[in-house]
Amino acid sequence: MVKTRTWVIIIVLLLAVSLGLTLWLWSRPRGDVVNIYQDGELVRTIDLSLVTKEESFDLESDYGRNTILLEPGRIRVSDADCPDKVCVDSGWLTGAAPIVCLPHRLVIEFAGGRGNIDAVTG
Amino acid sequence: MRTKRLTLDALLTAVALTIYVVELQLPHVVPIPGVKLGLANIVTVVAMVLLGPADAAGILFSRIVLGSLFSGNMMAVLYSVSGGLACFVTMLPLKKLLTPRQIWVMSVLGAAAHNLGQMAAAVLVTGTPALIVYLPVLMVSGIAAGLFTGAAAQFAALRLKKVLDKYHG
Amino acid sequence: MRKLRAAVTAALAAALLTGCGPAAPEPSSATIYAMDTVMELTVYGEEELLEEATDLIHDLESRLSVTKEGSDIYKANIEGSARLSEDAARLTGRALEICALTGGALDISVYPVVRAWGFTTGEYRVPGDDELRELLKTVDYSKISLQGSDLTLPEGYMVDLGSVAKGYTASAVIDLFRGAGVTSALVNLGGNVEALGSKPDGSPWRVGIRDPMGDGYFGVLEIRDAAVVTSGGYERYFEEDGVTYWHIIDPSTGRPAHSGLSSVTVTGPDGTLCDGLSTALFVMGLERAAQLWRDSGGFEAVFVTESGEVYITSGLEDAFTLEPGRGELKVIDRG
Repeated sequence: MVKTRTWVIIIVLLLAVSLGLTLWLWSRPRGDVVNIYQDGELVRTIDLSLVTKEESFDLESDYGRNTILLEPGRIRVSDADCPDKVCVDSGWLTGAAPIVCLPHRLVIEFAGGRGNIDAVTG
Repeated sequence: MRTKRLTLDALLTAVALTIYVVELQLPHVVPIPGVKLGLANIVTVVAMVLLGPADAAGILFSRIVLGSLFSGNMMAVLYSVSGGLACFVTMLPLKKLLTPRQIWVMSVLGAAAHNLGQMAAAVLVTGTPALIVYLPVLMVSGIAAGLFTGAAAQFAALRLKKVLDKYHG
Repeated sequence: MRKLRAAVTAALAAALLTGCGPAAPEPSSATIYAMDTVMELTVYGEEELLEEATDLIHDLESRLSVTKEGSDIYKANIEGSARLSEDAARLTGRALEICALTGGALDISVYPVVRAWGFTTGEYRVPGDDELRELLKTVDYSKISLQGSDLTLPEGYMVDLGSVAKGYTASAVIDLFRGAGVTSALVNLGGNVEALGSKPDGSPWRVGIRDPMGDGYFGVLEIRDAAVVTSGGYERYFEEDGVTYWHIIDPSTGRPAHSGLSSVTVTGPDGTLCDGLSTALFVMGLERAAQLWRDSGGFEAVFVTESGEVYITSGLEDAFTLEPGRGELKVIDRG
């Protein structure tokens, strides 16, 4: 039989590694450009620095509907017809983690930097 | 004997389902998919320890399928089954390694494995490898929740064992 | 122990120095507010160059602005004639060439009309038919005389170089950098983008083209040693009685140009030409613009129609990428 202390050490190590990774990932810088993926496909790219007024739009798919709300510099899911509404509860997108609606296979996340864009014209 | 066993399995499935559905009603404290207490895990651990792998698997997967049906979230079946499978595969070898006083370890590692399996399914289904950033958080929350459910499971298993032994004896 | 530490330090230092090959030069960048817009300059070179560029921009603004008292253009508009500084004369000459090239779709003398609509001050109004008819009598670039550096305007005429000034300024800044030996720089003068060379790693600069219908960009243009300028009605507009009036005025009607386009992007080596053409092609509409492209050289273009269709001229097939979910890209051929 394995000693209890060994189990404790294994679990504490696992916890420490996860905790460290969490803190590291969660402190990553955010960018301006947001990518929206549905079913793994990039469906929209939005530069939040170009958003001048509040607006919203619906993303419809075979799985259901998510209403995306944009305000200058930020984005969130304001409504959805999924059962758990985790995406709505997630609030505004932060640099930490993507907003995810698993039932609708929807992911909203910051693209790295300015979405590999050096400038925007227009 | 078989009927008695089957009845016991059905009873535990019903308990697990009840716990599962009640937990669904609790508000999301942390708005990250997959972060939850996983109280139904208590039943899985208890079944594993007292009844063995076959019964535990039956109870676990009946609960997952019926639970998804009851909550009207069939999309979640895929994630739950993957999580359940990973959890079960982890618990299986642990059963032989653990003393009765170490039952909680099974719950902790099972919960962590559950979250790992769920994450793998989510990455595959959504085709978004970026979801992996959730993995460390899910591991932390799985371990924390596993400690809690593990303590409950160990307590319940040891007590139930006495009852069952008395009943059989 | 000390020996070990020294060895490790030496190894680390060696790895840092040699690990990544030749060290990439660090970019210097500055944000400037001039010509009623935000300008971003990025240069892989000496930081002092940014100060020189800032001075150059302010100098050009003071000469080319139509509203700054004391500018060459301001003086010509008030007095009917003026002796222009070197830059103002060169730009006026280039602008008149572009006016002729586009058959008056660009007209630097449309200023009195633009002013009547309030686009210069922000006090928007819809001028009456009679007022516009009267104002259009003083809109005809071919009546403007530029002899050497002497600009002479007919009675009541006013000129505005605003449709080419930012493109010209971007090119001037790029020339300044190039003259100083820089091989990699990017300037963005409120949407007038011009690149010197490519990025230090040799890859092209990636310029997003703003989506006229919403936020973000609808496509990306990869450029080297080129300017990119976009014109669209969404940039400045007002609404009255449910009608949207935007700032791009058709010089032939004196009213906002409705040619079926919602944005035009022009790219090419000449920043002044790109700037002037982006406005002119917007006025001309897709058909006439495509014909002008076939008849002349020196630029390529991206068009977005009011229904959201995206057209590119065939020279951009490799350089332009449409963002996902934007439908099918249509290519205009020389044929």
